[in-house]
Amino acid sequence: MRKYYLSPLGPERMHIPDGFLDLWIAVVCAVLAGGTLVAAARRADGDLTDTTAPVLGIVAAGLFAAQLLNWPIPGGTSAHFVGGAFAAILLGPHLGALCVATVVTIQALVFGDGGLVVLGANVLNMAVVEVYVGYALYRLLAGHNEFVAAFVAGWLGITAGAVAAALQLGASSAFAYELVTTVSIMGIGHLLLGLIEGGITAVVYRYVADARPDLFPTATTTEVAA
Amino acid sequence: MSVASDAWDRSWVRRSLLAIGALVAVSPLFAWAAGRVGYAEPLENAAERTGAMAHEVTYNPGLLPDYTIPGVDPLVGTFVSAVVGTALTLVVATAIARLLAD
Repeated sequence: MRKYYLSPLGPERMHIPDGFLDLWIAVVCAVLAGGTLVAAARRADGDLTDTTAPVLGIVAAGLFAAQLLNWPIPGGTSAHFVGGAFAAILLGPHLGALCVATVVTIQALVFGDGGLVVLGANVLNMAVVEVYVGYALYRLLAGHNEFVAAFVAGWLGITAGAVAAALQLGASSAFAYELVTTVSIMGIGHLLLGLIEGGITAVVYRYVADARPDLFPTATTTEVAA
Repeated sequence: MSVASDAWDRSWVRRSLLAIGALVAVSPLFAWAAGRVGYAEPLENAAERTGAMAHEVTYNPGLLPDYTIPGVDPLVGTFVSAVVGTALTLVVATAIARLLAD
């Protein structure tokens, strides 16, 4: 029995452990993730001041704490809030990516949640794919309905991250190159679990948007301008 | 862009930290509930289906392996992990943000 099952807390098992990915795939993912984060840091330059810097810390800490809450679902699975799309909507995609990458890296280094060699892949899936896909969907739909846009961003953002992980795993020898199996199990699984992610994303978004509408200039430009 | 261009007043920061503290405080309860229900995530299901389980290795168990303290009650370990992890994330992310702000 693996230690995953012994842990009372296993956060979202999109965290790939060491040994699951072929080395070349892990290296390619690390290069892609690292390159994206460097670009994100450059693009985010100027978005932060000494006064607003703590915001990134607070959102990152909030995501870490929220990911600890594992909601068991009768029937043999569990779900919880990952928050990549939410971070992207609140902070913008570049700071959102840096925020989630910080969380994923601390989870791997301090808690062994996700492997060391495959850290780049986990960052790529959760801090890059999930964040940027979620943000793109939000921007695409926010003009029609912000609540629905936040829901879809959370739902399909996490599904996209899971499919990315499934592609990496399915192309690896440990998974016997069974790409169809990994993509179908993880894709469908997270498409269903992602509904909860989408729901929480939308509800938290609505709460924050009601409490601080000024934080969402893309959604409330006219009100802020007025 | 977004929140980063808006100053957060101190009361908002305080409220956010209180909410995060509440999440940390209830984390052992969720850990207990999760422990009562046997469950598997899609990644685990895919690994079992393809025989990948045997390939898993652990190069770095971490200081608090799987959010526990070896030899200590799991729920206590969960709570300590939640406090340490949340505080560490807050400090590291804030430091990164300050570097970007310079």
